[in-house]
Amino acid sequence: MAEFNIRTDAVDVEQIMRQIRARIREKRGVDYTEQQIQELATVKLERFLDPKGVRSDLVEQFRRTRTATPEPPKYTFEDSTIYDTHRGLLRFMRRLLNPILKLLFNPNPLIHVIHTQAQINSLYAQQFRVRDELDALYYEVIHNLVLELTRLGIENKNLKMRLESLASRLDFDERRSRALEGVVQYRSGTAAAREERPRVMESAPLPVEGLSAAAAPSTPGTLGTADGTARRRRRRRRGRRGGAGHAPGAGASPGTPGTTPEAGGAAGAGTGGPAPDDAPGGGMPTAAATQGRSNGPMDNAASSVPLNIDVAERGPQRGSRVGDPDEGPDDTSDL
Amino acid sequence: MKLAVVVQRYGADINGGAELHARYVAEHLARHAQVEVLSTCARDYVTWRNAYPPGVESVNGLPVRRFPVDHERDVHVFAQRSDRVFEQPHSRLDELRWIDSEGPTSTPLITHIKANRKAYDYFIFFSYRYYHAYHGAQSVADRSMLVPTAERDEAIGLSIFPPVFRSVRALMYNSPEERRMIQTATNNHDVPGVVVGIGSEIPGRPEAQRFRQKYGITGRFALYVGRIDRNKGCQELFTFFLRAVPALPVGLGLVLIGNAILPIPDHPRIRHLGFLSDEDKFDALAAADLLVMPSYYESLSMVALEAWALGRPVLANGKCEVLRGQCIRSRAGLYYDTQAEFVETLRAVADSRSLNEALGANGQRFYQHHYAWPVIEQKYLDMLERLAREDREMTKKMRREREPGWFARRRRVLPAATEVLAGLPSGPVLETTKAGKNPAHDRLRG
Repeated sequence: MAEFNIRTDAVDVEQIMRQIRARIREKRGVDYTEQQIQELATVKLERFLDPKGVRSDLVEQFRRTRTATPEPPKYTFEDSTIYDTHRGLLRFMRRLLNPILKLLFNPNPLIHVIHTQAQINSLYAQQFRVRDELDALYYEVIHNLVLELTRLGIENKNLKMRLESLASRLDFDERRSRALEGVVQYRSGTAAAREERPRVMESAPLPVEGLSAAAAPSTPGTLGTADGTARRRRRRRRGRRGGAGHAPGAGASPGTPGTTPEAGGAAGAGTGGPAPDDAPGGGMPTAAATQGRSNGPMDNAASSVPLNIDVAERGPQRGSRVGDPDEGPDDTSDL
Repeated sequence: MKLAVVVQRYGADINGGAELHARYVAEHLARHAQVEVLSTCARDYVTWRNAYPPGVESVNGLPVRRFPVDHERDVHVFAQRSDRVFEQPHSRLDELRWIDSEGPTSTPLITHIKANRKAYDYFIFFSYRYYHAYHGAQSVADRSMLVPTAERDEAIGLSIFPPVFRSVRALMYNSPEERRMIQTATNNHDVPGVVVGIGSEIPGRPEAQRFRQKYGITGRFALYVGRIDRNKGCQELFTFFLRAVPALPVGLGLVLIGNAILPIPDHPRIRHLGFLSDEDKFDALAAADLLVMPSYYESLSMVALEAWALGRPVLANGKCEVLRGQCIRSRAGLYYDTQAEFVETLRAVADSRSLNEALGANGQRFYQHHYAWPVIEQKYLDMLERLAREDREMTKKMRREREPGWFARRRRVLPAATEVLAGLPSGPVLETTKAGKNPAHDRLRG
């Protein structure tokens, strides 16, 4: 917590309290009361995390319950109920003696009251049942709303943090690229440029796809000269890294001009056994796949650099050094 | 001028708020007038059991006349009657029975007041809610001053009290919040009243180091002084403190002074020292970083005033409108309502040296301006002089409100006291003085 700095002894307590409350709101995101926080704290974690906790038919059930018709009374009490029996003789005797009974007292009001009471009981029971169901649904609605709000709040906070992280990384990359642009002295067609450039780019790839084509053709024999050569070399390296380090691309006739990228890609997939997503696509694997294989483990910051840049940078360097397409161990050590 | 101070209990060993208040006032007014204390033989405020011998004795040089209590309080009956008058529609007779069961019921005291009304120029009654004040103030209304010491509890909602507040000659309030509450509840705006409060016997040079050596306390600590009771908010204080331990300033402990009615949590950061002498108490205040006042209901916190007198800030419970109002008016304390606010305010006061010192300095000024004994004494003397002048000039017309009849007393038409209380205004009374603000210099930087 930041230190309060009181310049004079004339303190405004209400102002301080406002600041403190604002701080609490910042920390919490939302100004929950203690009771609300307690309730949230008691929420089951699995309900919190499990999307199944929210019933998909909640609204439907809610409507159905609200419009449900009341059930019939569970028991009835009619004027003949007090004389009912399964024994016929007894029923007959009761009916016979009924006038005498009515001579002593009038059972009709009693019967009427009990009959009404039975109906009232049923009605109340029904209302209570509906009320209970509604209460449960209300609770569930509110409960889920609170959970969803909390989850969204957390997600919002996470996204904010992620955005900040991305912004800082972007800023870093921009500064890095600017710094490198200032350092790199590229002069087209000179040997110094050919020797110097790949070294620089290895550490910091430049986002220019055409650069490989621009730099490569000047010395055909050394640097592979053709675009297809560079691609083949790159694919072979991938294949070795992904699987065994032995004579991989031979079957695909490496270094043969005119070999299609698709063929090279298939060969790489067959020999090195990299991830399946590399195999069918052929020559230009996805950026994500490339990142994972070429320089993913080494430099996370460079992982967002496009694949073709990396290839263009590495191709000339290897070509100038070895000139042999089957320099597997060296390639591996290059990583 | 001869004055009678009438209070429910009195003694040098009694440290209850209103009783101590009465003793301090009596002893200080004795420098300007002849003072006699009228009280009961009770020492225990729960049972009102007769503990002191009846008759006259001298306490700190003042004559104290004690009268026996008729009967001890039956807590069950009192609880039942409290429930009836506080929570249900009831009759005036129910309320009279309630005050009789609350006590301390001492008919000899009331008889003495009635019989000797002319022997004293004025009677100063303390604590409106007790038997002695209700019956005594009514029996000598034309000579009575009342120090209500009213808290925001249900008793203020009973219908038997407004006539008392309207019939006395003067009222000495403890705080603006108390005055507003009583005036709203009883409509006694025409009765002279002044916010006085109470001073304290602050020692000249309390020694923090002496306290630390005596009790082996070396670190920083927040201090609580008073009865350790749930009603004083101590349970909430313990809960908040223990939950906040990881977030608290490093090494900040909680030291408790007072008799414990509530179990105290066993935690290395909490230390209970029991009941201490005044000297130790002031030494502890001098050694503390701050004073914590977790009480929900206070008419005036003497220990908060004592902390301010020694330049220590106060962290009060914001639910207590009196303490909250005092913190705002004095600019000498912060307040909390929730756990989060407790943590943040505690950290602010304990961690920020400049804030701590600024609050403490404001507290000292506040105490000197409003609660130093010369100020308090002068307010009492001014009020007594005003009453004497009115008596001489015969300008004051006393009105005696007629007591309801036999049937009216038994008619259950009075609302529950809680309902009345809920209708009373709440929150701190903030005096909006143009010169009170100092925005240019009050800027805080978080």
